[in-house]
Amino acid sequence: MNCLEFRRQLGVDPHSAGADFVAHRQDCARCAEAAARAVEFEASLRRALNVEPSAQLAESILLAQATRQQHGRRTWLRRGGLLAMAATLVLAIGLGMRVEANPLSAQAVEHLRGEPDALTSTQAVPAATVREAFATRGIALKHDISGEVVYVGCCPMGRHLTVHMVMPGKTGPVTVIYVVDDRVKQRDNFQREGWHGRSAPLGSGTLILLARDTGQFDSIEAEWRAALQG
Amino acid sequence: MSAVNSKQRQFDALVRSLSGDLFRYAYWLCGDEALANDLVQETFLRAWRALSDLRETNAAKAWLITILRREHARLYERKTPQFSDVSEIDIADERDAVQPESAGEDAAIRAAIRRLEPKYREPLLMQVLGGFSCEEIARELNISAAAVMTQLFRARQKLKVMLGDGNKEANVYELS
Repeated sequence: MNCLEFRRQLGVDPHSAGADFVAHRQDCARCAEAAARAVEFEASLRRALNVEPSAQLAESILLAQATRQQHGRRTWLRRGGLLAMAATLVLAIGLGMRVEANPLSAQAVEHLRGEPDALTSTQAVPAATVREAFATRGIALKHDISGEVVYVGCCPMGRHLTVHMVMPGKTGPVTVIYVVDDRVKQRDNFQREGWHGRSAPLGSGTLILLARDTGQFDSIEAEWRAALQG
Repeated sequence: MSAVNSKQRQFDALVRSLSGDLFRYAYWLCGDEALANDLVQETFLRAWRALSDLRETNAAKAWLITILRREHARLYERKTPQFSDVSEIDIADERDAVQPESAGEDAAIRAAIRRLEPKYREPLLMQVLGGFSCEEIARELNISAAAVMTQLFRARQKLKVMLGDGNKEANVYELS
């Protein structure tokens, strides 16, 4: 290996351990100096790339996996019931009803089950933090909302990107999930697993509200409609 | 120990030991902290379902990075996020916020890495963060090993040019 070949290899992989590379470094003082500087630069590069994840990353992954697995097990146990339900769905399709395989409403309730702590938050989140969460999802709010937000997170919900929030209310907390990348065709009220819910098209996404009662849905929906659409 | 427990323990160990590395890779791949978190979570959830495909523990990191790259590609197939009202300056500030203490040399290198074209940045990430060999990068990117070597060489050259002539590393790879 000559100096030219050595310098090329140095640029490709400064930690190369090839016999020719190592031999040339031992024989050529100038190339050995260049190699030492290159290794030093690699250390700087590695240090610069070393961004730290949030301390909860591993725990949140394990929680998500456990939640999905638990849900899968329940699904398995309910298989008999599901078969009967499937027959009903086939009939429903035959009758011309629109049936979604896994509607956003179901995914929202499932997501809520995986994040029970969100509902116990009580400390108000600054409006700037809410704006930042939407900006992270590529959305600029037209206005801050006047209602209080006590939890905000940029959560994955199945295959969807969302901003997940909780607003305290007179009759209990209201979960507000804005699904960024999927828009339902029309507003729909639903009930699932003891939750009252509403899904509504809003902008290019879907606003989902979940609470123990529907009393505050109209005012909260209006507030988010103004915040997102102006 | 049951097979289920064994699988769970293996998964827990992978998450605890490799989620940080996966996050770093995802972050530099997509440039967005929240999206990187989502990508890492989806990667591990897919990995859980396919854990029986992982034959050697030593190959786990490369295997997970392969899943993460596919997940990233899927995300962009489905929808390109719209950053309609967020300026490039805002995005750059957000990236710096991941490590607010970053300053001086680290910040300059980070800024230079962000400016690298993806075709140079990704092989460099795979080598430096993923520990991939040139041949492994070539297989992953579906290009020749010679092309990978050229891209790695040019990536480092471009970085040193961006970091300026005053930097002592500036002439490390000069061939003259």
